[in-house]
Amino acid sequence: MQRRVVITGLGFVSSLALDREGTWKAMLEGRHGLRALSKLDLPGEPARIAAEVDLPEGAGAGPRATFCERMARLAATEALANSRGLEGLDPRRAGVFQGAGTSGMPIAETYLEARLRGAQPKAAEALYQTPAVVTEAMARDLGALGPRSTVMNACSSSLLALGQAFERLAGGSLDFALAGGAEGLCRTTYAGFASLKAMDPAFNRPFSRDRAGLNLGEASAQFILEPLEQARARGATILAEVLGYGASMDAHHPTAPHPEGDGAARAMEMALGMARLDRSEVDLVSAHATATPANDGAETAAIKRALGEAAGRVSVTSSKSQFGHTLGAAGAVGAAVAVLALRGQVVSPTLRLEDPDPACDLDCTPLEPRERRLRAALVNAFAFGGNNVCLALRRWEGA
Amino acid sequence: MTTAFPDLVITGAGLVLPCGDGFEPARAAWASRTPSFAELPEALGPGRGAACTAFNPAGIIPPMQLRRLDRPSRFAWAAAHHAFLDAGFDPRAGGDRVAVAVGTNTAGSEASEAFMRPYFARGPEGASPMVFPNCVANAPSGHVALAFGIKGPSTTQLDRENACFSALEQARWWLEGGVADAVLVIGVDGLFPLLVELLQRTHLAARQGDPRPQGDTGLLPGEGAQAFLVETAARAAARGAAVRARIRSLAWSCGTEDGPASRQDALARAASEALAGVPPRAWIAGSNGHPRLDRAEARLACDLPSLPPPAHPKALWGELCGGGGQLLAAALLETPGPVLLTAPASFGSQAAALLEVQPTR
Repeated sequence: MQRRVVITGLGFVSSLALDREGTWKAMLEGRHGLRALSKLDLPGEPARIAAEVDLPEGAGAGPRATFCERMARLAATEALANSRGLEGLDPRRAGVFQGAGTSGMPIAETYLEARLRGAQPKAAEALYQTPAVVTEAMARDLGALGPRSTVMNACSSSLLALGQAFERLAGGSLDFALAGGAEGLCRTTYAGFASLKAMDPAFNRPFSRDRAGLNLGEASAQFILEPLEQARARGATILAEVLGYGASMDAHHPTAPHPEGDGAARAMEMALGMARLDRSEVDLVSAHATATPANDGAETAAIKRALGEAAGRVSVTSSKSQFGHTLGAAGAVGAAVAVLALRGQVVSPTLRLEDPDPACDLDCTPLEPRERRLRAALVNAFAFGGNNVCLALRRWEGA
Repeated sequence: MTTAFPDLVITGAGLVLPCGDGFEPARAAWASRTPSFAELPEALGPGRGAACTAFNPAGIIPPMQLRRLDRPSRFAWAAAHHAFLDAGFDPRAGGDRVAVAVGTNTAGSEASEAFMRPYFARGPEGASPMVFPNCVANAPSGHVALAFGIKGPSTTQLDRENACFSALEQARWWLEGGVADAVLVIGVDGLFPLLVELLQRTHLAARQGDPRPQGDTGLLPGEGAQAFLVETAARAAARGAAVRARIRSLAWSCGTEDGPASRQDALARAASEALAGVPPRAWIAGSNGHPRLDRAEARLACDLPSLPPPAHPKALWGELCGGGGQLLAAALLETPGPVLLTAPASFGSQAAALLEVQPTR
């Protein structure tokens, strides 16, 4: 017997604002968080734009907390604000599921750079800061004694973490989950995407004819998930229902997506199947849409295959135009955007979409937000390794 | 929290271990308890460890692909190849009904170091677009999917020393949820110079000689990959597959804090729940020579005096040799019967499992 699972908390730390409502308001005002890169010293790199998060001193702070961990803790605090936490619940039935980002990688980079200079930096921190540290810190903060999962599926990590939380809650082995992801900038990812010629030196332009690549960004989105009956019993504010998820691999190429979006379409179809959702009910796709030449066309093809005729009526949006590509956190960010859209019945815009690519011929919500009826949403996240994840959400109408 | 595995079985395994590739070298090393530790190859820097120096993927990985792969991906590919052969399973025929769940501590790290060293020396000109895709920890799962035409779900778990048990946990959910018909669970790790240096500079590495569990000697790193094809018993029976082991239980427990007593309590709870009153014939333990893990298992031996004496795969093949996959491998080398596995972690969740090892094929 599967239990219905709902979202009762959402925290969102972004380059637009350090909270959910501030971020959403700015998105609907057409603002973005991209700016000249200031956090990384990258001599010789031509692309110098990123969506950086500025945290006030002390925000999200904890013992030995990295920037990723601080963002995650801040978002989790907001997600938990309207929840009573684990009060009255068995902490052994509370889990934490996190999609890993760069986490402690900046520390390892600094260590390696110092060693190459012949210095003797402290070694302990470089070894200690594994991605699991963020998951463990959040579990400690929450007092959760149930499962902890640290997923590293590159850019689909945090969406799979949400899927894992959903299946444990629906399957009855958990009663409470904190799930999401956090991503900070580091030199490895910046130099890496630059080496692949995947970075746009200007602001990214998802779905545009002249799109030229991605910008990197920082963010964290954290969700509280729990069974519907429990949420009702405690009078929680329900933001949306999680219906299911799908996951697949392309088995096509280590970094490039399948040109017809085969794996992406299968992930979406699997999500629809697990959700028992008719594709005609899907009104929104929070797309992966990185603005790389290869991704956006393949994703368009995948949406068309998965939704069939319904694809012609669906609204598609790319939050990469506001936040850049937040890599490990991208799936959670896309899910946050979808939840807020379902709640407000308004689709956030894809910015800078002035000249749509004919190969991306869906309604990609160019430039302006759009109010419309939104019943259900699909959230996409695709990754290196041909890894695809899709999460299905439904508007909460009190049913 | 116990997760029962009433009908899941391991129908094939592929082992890439420091003692060699395949079951025979592993069986010989396990029977004689012969450690694989030696001075590491020069490329890894000074120090001892259990490197897969005899690893030879010729005939398994085509040369063109081989040069694009980092060490963990090579290990994972070879282990997957052996596991599918052992199981008599054609992954291409399974398509999107086959999944991959990887547990690792180090995948992606070797490539990250290899990517950043020339970058720091020469700037963007030193950054290799061929190396960068392997900097993500899920590179092995992507390469395995590509190699074997696997199109189902995939996860890579980075949950410390028992990450492979987390991968097994995800396999359970996908199999019981009907998302997949078979899940290839892989534990994989690869040595790299920065890791070797960090272990020594933090004094975690064994100070002299080989690690001795319960000896407070420090640990030594290893590397390798262990792949296990996990299916429901019904599906395995339907295709006439022989079974290497039944997975009877997998239990997890977290302490209320990160102190040693809390970790010990958690491991004891997980072990008791995994056993559920079944007397094990053997106990495969995760002690590695470092007190953080060893003391939890020492306490368990006191709490449950009826347990058989523990056997320690990490005393032969090292820590970081497959995210706990080396424990599962050792269990399959035991004589038939119920085998308890305890997989303590330095932080976070402690794991235990009970496998019913079947007679050797």
